[in-house]
Amino acid sequence: MFWNNLKIALRNLRKNKLYAVINIAGLALGLAIYVFGGLLVEYERSHDLFFANAERTYTIGSYAAEDLDVGVDNMASTFSTVGPIIAAELSDVEHVARTISREMLVTMGADSFYQHMRFADSELLQIFDFDYLHGDARALNDPSGILITESSAIKYFGNTNVLGEVVTLDNEYEFYVSAVIRDVPLNSHFNSMVIMDSDLEVVAPLAALGRIRDWDLAGNWDNLSLGNMTYVMLPEHLDQEWLQDQVDGIYERQVPEDPKEVISGLFVKPLAHANLSIWDTIGMPVIAVVQLLSLLVLVVACVNYTNLATAQSLGRSREVGMRKTMGAERGQLLIQFLVESLTITAIAMVVAIAALEIVIPLFNNMADKVMELDYLRTLPWLVATTAAVGLVAGAYPAWLITRASPIDALRDVARKGKKGSKVRAVMIGAQFAISAFMLSVVTVVFVQNEMVKESSYVFPRSEIYTLGRLGIEDIQERFETLRHELEAVPNVESVAFSSQVPYEQNNSQFEVTMQPGDEAGKTRVHQMVMSPEFLDAYDIPLLAGRNLSREIGNDERSEESEVLNVLVNELTLEKLGIGSPAEALNQRFYDLDEENSLRELVIVGVVPTQNITGLFNTDKPWVFMYRPSSLRIGSVRISGSDMMGTLADVEDAWDRVIPEYPIQGRFLDEVFNDVYDILKIMNVALAGFAGVALVLALIGLFGLAAFMAAQRTREIGVRKVLGASSLQVAKLLVWQFSKPVLWALVVALPLAYMGSKTYLEFFADRINTEVIILLVAGLVAVLLAWGTVAGHAIRISRASPIIALRYE
Amino acid sequence: MLRLHDLYKVYRTDEVETVALNGVNFEVDQGEFVAVMGPSGCGKSTLLNIVGMIDDLTSGDYHFFDENVAGYGEKQLSSIRKQNIGFIFQSFNLIDELTVAENIELALLYHRMPSSQRKKRVATVMDRMGIAHRAKHLPGQLSGGQQQRVAVARAVVGNQPLILADEPTGNLDSVHGQEVMELLRSLNADGTTIVMVTHSPSHADYAHRTVNLFDGHIVTENVRAA
Repeated sequence: MFWNNLKIALRNLRKNKLYAVINIAGLALGLAIYVFGGLLVEYERSHDLFFANAERTYTIGSYAAEDLDVGVDNMASTFSTVGPIIAAELSDVEHVARTISREMLVTMGADSFYQHMRFADSELLQIFDFDYLHGDARALNDPSGILITESSAIKYFGNTNVLGEVVTLDNEYEFYVSAVIRDVPLNSHFNSMVIMDSDLEVVAPLAALGRIRDWDLAGNWDNLSLGNMTYVMLPEHLDQEWLQDQVDGIYERQVPEDPKEVISGLFVKPLAHANLSIWDTIGMPVIAVVQLLSLLVLVVACVNYTNLATAQSLGRSREVGMRKTMGAERGQLLIQFLVESLTITAIAMVVAIAALEIVIPLFNNMADKVMELDYLRTLPWLVATTAAVGLVAGAYPAWLITRASPIDALRDVARKGKKGSKVRAVMIGAQFAISAFMLSVVTVVFVQNEMVKESSYVFPRSEIYTLGRLGIEDIQERFETLRHELEAVPNVESVAFSSQVPYEQNNSQFEVTMQPGDEAGKTRVHQMVMSPEFLDAYDIPLLAGRNLSREIGNDERSEESEVLNVLVNELTLEKLGIGSPAEALNQRFYDLDEENSLRELVIVGVVPTQNITGLFNTDKPWVFMYRPSSLRIGSVRISGSDMMGTLADVEDAWDRVIPEYPIQGRFLDEVFNDVYDILKIMNVALAGFAGVALVLALIGLFGLAAFMAAQRTREIGVRKVLGASSLQVAKLLVWQFSKPVLWALVVALPLAYMGSKTYLEFFADRINTEVIILLVAGLVAVLLAWGTVAGHAIRISRASPIIALRYE
Repeated sequence: MLRLHDLYKVYRTDEVETVALNGVNFEVDQGEFVAVMGPSGCGKSTLLNIVGMIDDLTSGDYHFFDENVAGYGEKQLSSIRKQNIGFIFQSFNLIDELTVAENIELALLYHRMPSSQRKKRVATVMDRMGIAHRAKHLPGQLSGGQQQRVAVARAVVGNQPLILADEPTGNLDSVHGQEVMELLRSLNADGTTIVMVTHSPSHADYAHRTVNLFDGHIVTENVRAA
């Protein structure tokens, strides 16, 4: 019986090739997306599990305090003091280790280059059992030892047998290689965290950072950098909940008041989730969205199949009648039809897997991942998915077609009547609702991203060449010489130095008041340290007052400064309760930090409010000041067409002034794209999902329209004999599909509105045209649907009436 | 073999009530060959479908081998049907995706019978109907007459005692129609009871008895002289 059913299934496929292709292609597409989404989610969630202690290792992160204006709710990192406190307070914890990420100038022989390094407590090597080629887990016990990966060893020395080789950091500090490990696999947070600039390559003892940069081993409450990690390894019998309770207590007891204004709590996360922390930080539930979207695409594909199979099965009513007449029971026929849908689903799954075998390596290549389709592990899931899809998608047509009594089935009552047409309409509607929902959300996301890009042009992004890593005294001392040399280069318009450039997501803040020591009236402002040329380089106009100057004593801040002239933007005036820019001049306000010698700030100029950090940030109150020791990045404004020539001249000028440090230049465009690319990739991924859903819906509509038009051929013949024009007939057929599609929009657009609102909430500056965009996207979906159906409608409406009548 | 008493069949839609069979009494003895005749819409096919248990009756009694099946559900009916009744339709109702042999085998598929035995039975019946050389063809590749022979083969392969034929020659030319009638006659001669709906008086002559229906009533019955 089973083989007979299978045979019938395959013959039916062969007989209706168009339907077969549409059915299988549609299902295969849906399955491929679903399986891919599932694999991706599983991949992302199972990082680092090859470390023996992964299951009992946790990372400590921080919740951002509510009024901390940094654009994120939480961070995967915490203050560097927290690690030692945990180690001291919780004797049950097995190991605690911190890593601090820093970029260092590394010299090897005549070669100098910047290397991303992790400075770590030596216990890091107790927590993570790296694969040692040379040396062992004691590598970081010596404060002069460094651990490097196989590929770094080859990059530096050309081979891996390099224990004891010397490496100089910052032109001054000598280290020796104490261990070489195999490269950590790509599916480790060490290599996949978006917030890290680099893979794990070089690890040095944290004690060394103390030696090089006066870094206090006990840590500090000052700096909360995203790249710094705190790892805690628990004994077998303790779990995440226990650790969370403990760190909650530590937050209450040990975190002083000031840092409590920055972080509102600490949280514990399993190591396996560390690689996803960027999404938690941004606040976008990317993994959940991927799961939801891939499921929605699969639903669209299933509905597609159900719809086509239903329409097609009606053509087999007589067969069902005949089988029933010969004694088949309904259960036997249900099984027959379900075997057919399972067969088709199985074929589609095979096609999907074949496609994934091609797509996954390409994706891995593109996205730097090592995802794989491990059949042994995923087989039960694949089989279950196939069975579930086959049964769910095939259930309705099987139920519908086997429902009729033998005589009704033989008379083909189902086809002649309207049975099931409502359900089909609902299914078309559902399919279109999902596609229209995705399409409109994607469009809103796209337009919002475009707006982010557009508004970023307020600064001359493509004309600014930034020079990084200048925050070293040795370089800062030569700023004036460098500036003169650079300004002498043709096409260089101005050269400025600052503590950060636009779009960099740094948040250096301090608290100020209008009255000295007035805690109640305090407000938080952002600090930009800049050289006087900054306004010029970035086209920032002055609304009132004057620019800062090197010639005026109080314009430049030094260690001893008690009074400082500053510029502020309009939003700062608003926050301080000062009226117009003109009124603001010479007004004074006060720094609340009592450890600072600087108490009094005098407003000498006002600039407009501009979104300097850009992207999803809101406008912020800025205070601009000049303090040479805090300048760490240069901005070279370049004009003219000979960009390459100018850049070569800029590099020459650098090499003349600062020959011992390599130039670290990149355009401001790239700084912007660091974050914008994340938004763009998400948009592309969303668009991919939406595109697939829409294509599926259109394919389904196309197939269904073909079927329905054929079914109504006789009616069309009669109508034409009675004098209907081709246009009238075409309109009739198109209208048949328009109703469910229009209903779909009624459902989809409000949902899309809510979905896009959720996305827009990540941004401080939002588009306000989302309603229009949604309506247009909806209209496009309807037009596409009409276009798809109209082709059939026109062809059939043009046929001669006698052909239509002869059909039966 | 079967006895229908005071049989009513009424089709109801929202507004119209159509009485297809109006108090019909109808009996068939084992081994009989009965023809049912009458103008279009008189209820012939309805009567046949009720006899074949593929349509339900509105009221009345239906005794099949002394069992009143009038109130039976679909499951019981399908079980009786597959044991006892073979059908032949005017439009053949062969399944286009199955070969001749598979179409015939279909009638045995829902009986619990090993595959080898099924194949044997199918081969025998194909020989008898003269279609063995067409075993692997699809229905679309056969002439109308050949298709109807396949349908007849399918009706008899299960050795059911009763064959119901609904205008079996309606779609055939006179030569092929004649052939099918001869087949039915020989089946009857071998002991199979046959009830046949037909428009053709000459084909009705093959039967022992002709029942004439008009507007849902049996108006006359003619028994052919032996």
